[in-house]
Formats: sequence, structure tokens, C-alpha cells
Amino acid sequence: MARIVGIDLGTTNSLVAIVENGTPRVIPGPDGNNLVPSVIYFGENGEVLIGNPAKAKLIEKPKNTIFSIKRFMGKGMTDVKDDLALLPFEVSAESENILKLKVFGRDYTPPEISAFVLRELKRNAEAALGEDIVNAVITVPAYFNDAQRQATKDAGRIAGLDVLRIVNEPTAASLAYGLQEQKQGIVAVYDFGGGTFDVSILKLSEGIFEVLSTSGDTHLGGDDIDEQLMRLVLAESKTTPDPRDFPSIRKATNKAKEDLSSADEAEISIPSLGYSRKLTRKEFDALITPTVERTLKSCRQALQDAGLKPGDVSEVVMVGGSTRIPLVRSRVQELFGRVPHTSLNPDEVVALGAAVQADILAGGKRDMLLLDVTPLSLGIETMGGVMSKIIPRNSTIPASASEMFTTFVEGQTNVKVHVLQGERELVQDCRSLAQFDLKDIPPMPAGLPRIEVKFLIDADGILSVAAQEQRTGKYQSVAVKPTYGLTDEEVERMILESFEYAESDIEAREVIEARNEASTVLIATDKGLKSEEFADLSADERNEIIAAAAHLQETVKIEDHRAIRDAIERLSQATQRLAEMIMNSAIGKALKNKRVREVDTDEPTDHLDKH
Amino acid sequence: MNYFEVFGLPKTLNIDLKTLERKFHELSRKYHPDYFTTAAPEQRQQALQMTATLNDAYRTLRHPVQRAEYLVELEGFKADGSKVPKSFLMEVFEINEQIEEVKAGSATKEQIAALRGEIEARAAKFDSELKSASLAWDNLVASSAEESQRKQQLTKLTEILSESSYIRNLQRDLEEKP
Repeated sequence: MARIVGIDLGTTNSLVAIVENGTPRVIPGPDGNNLVPSVIYFGENGEVLIGNPAKAKLIEKPKNTIFSIKRFMGKGMTDVKDDLALLPFEVSAESENILKLKVFGRDYTPPEISAFVLRELKRNAEAALGEDIVNAVITVPAYFNDAQRQATKDAGRIAGLDVLRIVNEPTAASLAYGLQEQKQGIVAVYDFGGGTFDVSILKLSEGIFEVLSTSGDTHLGGDDIDEQLMRLVLAESKTTPDPRDFPSIRKATNKAKEDLSSADEAEISIPSLGYSRKLTRKEFDALITPTVERTLKSCRQALQDAGLKPGDVSEVVMVGGSTRIPLVRSRVQELFGRVPHTSLNPDEVVALGAAVQADILAGGKRDMLLLDVTPLSLGIETMGGVMSKIIPRNSTIPASASEMFTTFVEGQTNVKVHVLQGERELVQDCRSLAQFDLKDIPPMPAGLPRIEVKFLIDADGILSVAAQEQRTGKYQSVAVKPTYGLTDEEVERMILESFEYAESDIEAREVIEARNEASTVLIATDKGLKSEEFADLSADERNEIIAAAAHLQETVKIEDHRAIRDAIERLSQATQRLAEMIMNSAIGKALKNKRVREVDTDEPTDHLDKH
Repeated sequence: MNYFEVFGLPKTLNIDLKTLERKFHELSRKYHPDYFTTAAPEQRQQALQMTATLNDAYRTLRHPVQRAEYLVELEGFKADGSKVPKSFLMEVFEINEQIEEVKAGSATKEQIAALRGEIEARAAKFDSELKSASLAWDNLVASSAEESQRKQQLTKLTEILSESSYIRNLQRDLEEKP
């Protein structure tokens, strides 16, 4: 079987990992970094930068440098209004159910933007492993709903990946942890990342990783802490900042937050606003206490759902960059009454676990098995706008449930079904997942048709629906229209469009390579112009070299690797005779030197021997 | 295949949870879709369906109330909250009124403790009734009792189970107090 990589598609950073000889390892990018920042820069000329080069553009080009896109996966405009207030991005007018960002007049959905990061990781893996990579396991926050999971899968497809499994991040972390520590018993994974918070309670026994319960908040992470600090700066700043200032404010507050993980005091300084203040750890702790309390509330909920008390937990594993915050560590320690396990690299453990799951799927590890759960209850709308639960939260997946539907009027041939996810009683308080019509019901008196609808949540936590009329045994056509997701047709179109990008990516890379070569050639030519031999060339030869060099210097400025290569070729031709002359004279000199040295060294040796 | 058959169990109500878990893990290792990634699409689909049924079965059978509800339904009975005795309804109504008082903030600490004790006692009574009715059912199955005796016991189980949602709601409502 072809290799399967594990990908942690994070809010802040993304990683790709693989298992080799039974051990998972992260595959670094060409710059040697394991972490690829989940940042995408769109240039004026259509070039796209991903990761660290894109991150470098955050302040200079705030409108077309996209970050934290994961927070928008599977979301509509109303879901993200508050976030957008502090982000410099332009939003397309048609964003009601699927948010679209507008960059240089073109709309991008979050899956399309995430696909750029995935493609970069795919390329890094291909370069490191020397083979095409098509199969991947991608992690998501455990508390991601159906639409967010589907959006992640769509992103994979757009990036040219076959997503064999969506794995929950805390569960992936437990795999990496379990592999390393060989522990048994109850483990709590506290995963506080850049954008999301998850807690999962697992039972580890004889290679089976059984999730007992999970809870969390897909909108609670380091970004929220940054934004709290940003709001503090905005409130205290004397000048009214422009959205264009947000990236520099974010950078300054983010740095202060990170500094406070080790120092008692940090400086927030934003020269462009004339703003500067000291922030003590105490002030910071007071500011973030409500946020940390929300994570603890989720922990208590997860324990209750698992039917356990804090003392039943034999290990607390900390995952995600935000667990570096001292207050987080101390509060978690208080809740569980034990020192949390922090020896795993919180940034890498999820990717390593994803690679372990990939290895299980590839048939490499049959002694390990992950049994995960669905984080949210699945239900259908019933009379009076009430949600009737059919698969409760924390059910082990895959899970299924059947419901009977019937007609209310004689001869009715259509029944509408509205599927929801959430814990609240009323439909309006739950997340609409999809609507579909049971069509072509044979005309019968009201209440007589019996249509059995089977809901199946697969191992990715994604729902599918099948329907059958019981009396006729006929299968019903069920076209599920996702409320907050892309249709299959839309994903297909995006895959096609992504080929353009795949091409322009290759083009961009070729341009960079051609430019590098051009600069080497130009440096060599410069030396040649200063050499003694240059004077020995004919006037025509000299003029051609100068003209060709000038032409290349102009050509490197345009985004056309073919033109650059042609210009390099012209200059190489022009300098060929000069190069030969320089080479010959260099060889001549070298030989001459050598002979001198040989003579020099031979003699004393003989001399010594004689003594 | 019904949920008892999935685990190779007779249709009885006293199940050793440790054994059930061991069997669940064993069957998961056999059928889980993770082990069929490279298999043909039909096999993959089969593994998915089989594991979904296994998980549904485990979810149902591991809880005594859900297990009993499932069993009576298999036998053609159905627990129905609207068919509980009037006296029971009156009792629940009274407890509910007291919960409302607690929520309104007009109850003393002692009153709350007493109410909690009352609800817990009700829940304990429910549990023990279900337990003995379940044991009685298992004995009938073991002794291959007559149809009429079995029907009688199923009716009794169904009556007890009809009260379960009221008990659950009382417990939940008190814990949800602001």
C-alpha cells in the first residue's frame, strides 16, 4: 500500500508526519522547520506563499495574508462576525452560509484556503520521501461538528489528497503518548491550541484506546487570549487604530503573552500607535481567568459524561501551545489533583499521533485500535420545533440509528427531514446540519407509509443518510443539502481550479530556481569582466557579454522562468570563450604551482631521509 | 441480527459488564473499519455497517435501563411514559413543585438536602425494582417458562420502565437549578 501521512492542520501551525520503522517523525519543510505556519499570502501577480514566507508578510500586507482560517471552517457569516471585527480580511457579500474571503477580487472559501497549506505539507512530504503522496489522515478538534469535519475533508480533496480518516486531535495525541509511555488506565487529554479547546477522557487497555467522553469549544484558544489583549490595547490606546494596525497589535500582544510564560512581566510596545505598557503575570492571569475557567468547565462535563471523578484519572496529558501558560497548568493540576504530563512536545504530538493512526490504516500496526466518539448529539426536528435526539453524544463511532417517518396528509409524496447537532431542546438552539426530502413516496392515506431513515455516523464523525419505504421496500432518493457546507459539485469545481494553482505553484518555484541560477551566473560574469583575459577578447565578444548580462539583469525581474532561462543561455553562450580562457590560465597556474610545490617538498624529504 | 445476538448472548438482563467489554474489544479488533482501509469497497462498507451495529449494541446493552427497554421492545412491548399509575404521577408532581421552589430560591439548605434525599430514594427504589424484575425474567428464561408467565413478566418490566424517564428528569432538574 502507498504511504499514508498524518497531518495536523492547525489554527496557527500545521505539520506532516510519517511512521518509519515503527516510530513516528515529523517531516520538516525545506527551511528545516517542523512547523509550517498556517498562513497564506496572495501576491498581486497571482503568486502564493505559504508558511514562514507568508508569515513574514503579515504586517506589510494584512489584507491579503490570511491566517487562522481554521476558525472559519464550516461556518457562515453570522458565526464569525465577532472575529472578523479584529481581522483585516475582506469578506465576500455572498457569505451567509459559507464564509468567503475576497482577495484581489476573487472569492475563497476556507477549505480552498486550507488546501494551500495542505498542498505545501504534501510537497514537503514528497520532497523528503521521494515519492508521490496521495493518502492522508488529517486531524480535527474533537469538538468539530459535522460541517467542520466535512470542510476539512473537502480541503484535503481540493489539495489532491485522499483523506482516509479524520482523527480527533486529543485522541491522536493519546496515540502518540500511549505508544511512548506504554501506559494503561484512564487518561485525560487537555488540548488547548491556537483556536480550539478539547478535552477527551480515554481508557487505555491492551492497545485499545477507547474514548469515553469528549467535550470542548471549537472557538476557544490562544487566538482568544490574543484578542483579549488586543482589546485591552485598543481600549487604552489614545489614537484610534485602523484595521491595518491590527497585525502589529496582534504581534505585540502575542509576544507579550508568550513572554509571560517564563517571565513575571512583559512589555507591549506598538510604536506606530505611540503605545507602550508593562503587563505583569498577575494582570495577565486576571484577564484570562474566565477563559481558563471555561476549559475547566468542559473538563468537569467530560468527567461527568464518562461517569468518573477527577481522582479516577491516572494521567493528564497536555497538548497545544496554550498549555505553556503557567495559569493553565496550575489550574489543570488543581482540578485533577495531579501534576500534568508535559514532556511531549505540545506542538508536535498531534501530528505524530496522526502518523500512528495512518500506520494503523496502512496495516502497519494491528495491535493498536482507536475507538472514538461523536462529540455532539445527533437529532431530527419534530413537531413544535423540538429536537429529538437519535444518537447521543459520546457514542462510539461508527454509530447508527433508525427512525420511522410517515405522512400527515392523504396522498402526500414528500416528507421533509431536518437533521441537527447539539445538546439543547429547541431546534433554534442547535446547529442545523442538513435538510432533505424523502421523495416519491407512493400515494397512500395519511400515516400509512412507513419510511425508515437510517442515519450513520462513520469513523470520521461524518453523517450519511439512507431511506427505505417499508411497505414497498423501495429505497428513497436522499439528496442531503448541507446547511453550512459545500456541495459535491462545488468541491469538484474547486479541485479543478486548484490545478491552476498547482501549475502556478510549479511556475513560481521554477521562477525562483531560475533566478537563483541567474544570480550565480551574473556573479561569475562580474568576475570575468574584471579578469585579465577579458581584455584579450574581441570588441564584439566584449560587447555581447555586456549586452547579454544587462539583458539577464532586466529579465530576472519578470515572473517568467522561460525568459530567464533564455537570458541565462544567451549570457552563457557569450561568456563561453572567456570562461575557457580563464579556466585554461587557471589550470596553467595551478599546474605551475603544483610543480613548484612538488619540487619543494621532494627535496627536503630526501634530505631528511639522508639524515 | 439483534444486539444480544451481536454479542452471542441469550436474551437475558443480567450481564457481566467486564465480560461485555472484553467481547466488545474482541469484536472491534475483528471488524473495525481501520483494518479494512485497503479492502474492496464492499468489504469496507460491510466493516462500517458491522462496527456501527456493534457500537450501537454495546451502547444499549451496557446500561441496565436501555438494555431492558431494548429487550421488551424486541418482545413486542413498549415502555410508555403516559401509562404510569396516577399515584406515581401525583408523587412526581409534588416533587416537581418542590424543585420549582428550590429554583425560585425560596428553599432552605435543609429543604434542598431533604429533596435531594427524596429523589435519590425514588431513584434507588426504581433501580431495585428493575433489578429484581430483571432477575425474575432471567429465571423464567433459564427455566424455559411458559409463554403466559413470560408475557406477565414483560408487562411488569414495561410498567417499571415507563417510570424511568420521570426519575431521570427529576434528577436532572434538581442538578440544573441555578
